[in-house]
Amino acid sequence: MFNVERDGSEIRKLRYDDDICVSCGICADVCPTSSLRLGPIVPIARGLIEMDAISVNSNTCVLCGLCSVACPFGALSLFIDGVNIKDGGNYPYWDIKSEVCEDDCIYCGRCSVACPRDAIIFERNLPKRQDLVRGEISIDDEKCIYCGFCAELCPPGAIDISNVPTSSVDVVNNSIEVDTTKCVYCGICKRICPEDAITEICSTCMLQDQIDVPEITGDTIISKKSCVNCSWCAEICPVDAIDITKPFAGNLGLVETEESVCKGDSCHACQDVCSCNAIEIVEGKAVTNLTFCNLCGACIKACPQSIRALTRTSMKLNNINSEAWNECLNKILND
Amino acid sequence: MVVKIDSEACGHIDNCPVQGLCIKLCEQGAIIEENGDVKIVPENCDDCDLCIQNCPNQAISKA
Repeated sequence: MFNVERDGSEIRKLRYDDDICVSCGICADVCPTSSLRLGPIVPIARGLIEMDAISVNSNTCVLCGLCSVACPFGALSLFIDGVNIKDGGNYPYWDIKSEVCEDDCIYCGRCSVACPRDAIIFERNLPKRQDLVRGEISIDDEKCIYCGFCAELCPPGAIDISNVPTSSVDVVNNSIEVDTTKCVYCGICKRICPEDAITEICSTCMLQDQIDVPEITGDTIISKKSCVNCSWCAEICPVDAIDITKPFAGNLGLVETEESVCKGDSCHACQDVCSCNAIEIVEGKAVTNLTFCNLCGACIKACPQSIRALTRTSMKLNNINSEAWNECLNKILND
Repeated sequence: MVVKIDSEACGHIDNCPVQGLCIKLCEQGAIIEENGDVKIVPENCDDCDLCIQNCPNQAISKA
């Protein structure tokens, strides 16, 4: 993380957040004063070097803010008199989104597992088990010999037996309890009991009308800060409850030559830097799944063979009002 | 093709800002440590060029 700050007729401050940065280097590519530098991203991604992916030369940075609007992920922000220029309305902004439709979400949690950035915060409240079943169960202490067959076989683990050794066989020091928040009245305990000590009646089917339809509530939140719009969540969602807009449209592929070929498993630099979990090594070659790729281009910078070809045909960067900025920012695209 | 190391630019592992980054990066075991210096094991090299690209001293090149 770095901050470059200068006070004049207005106070300008550029903030970089390494936790958000995906090491794509777009900022360094567009910087008009070449003040930003992309570091050794492969050793950083592998944890061999601890440093920020982007470094700044604060002597040459003019705090224009171009880098901050060029970054699709919000890793750089320019504040003028305390206001982020992307919030002011005059500067370009990315028209990208990652949203969960709460009405459609069934809280299955698959998105949270699939997210390569751990950007999805997910919690759900399931109904209580005892509210979904009806029945009765009791164990006759007089008959029970505390053999433990029932407890060992009980599918939900609802039976608790304590066998405390005592000094004399005459002293009774055992106990058996059924936890009715766990019991589903399946009757296995009754069937296995060698002493017929268990009485169990299941009335779930008979009393179905009295049992409410189970309701599941919850929250699925995509952290905008960590999200890189890869769309893993949207693809894996079984009810299409997630809407993702990617920053770029385009293509990415391998262009091998006679001298330069993909070394696959020996290298896997592209895979290591990919923030989208979009690259797989298949039969010794890096294969990019464009469904999950956000075309950030970090893999292009990481490839030691320089055989990854990225084409960005359009971007969702809107509201570019200045001709000079338009020229700089269009460097992000290649026609 | 394999790679070669310019021993003057490389110095010793002790002097490397990352204490032998090339050794740590190469998963083929083609770069090893020998008496505090970096040594190439040509038969293990797969020509991926990761070491060339990432050497902080730019001491590695194609042989």
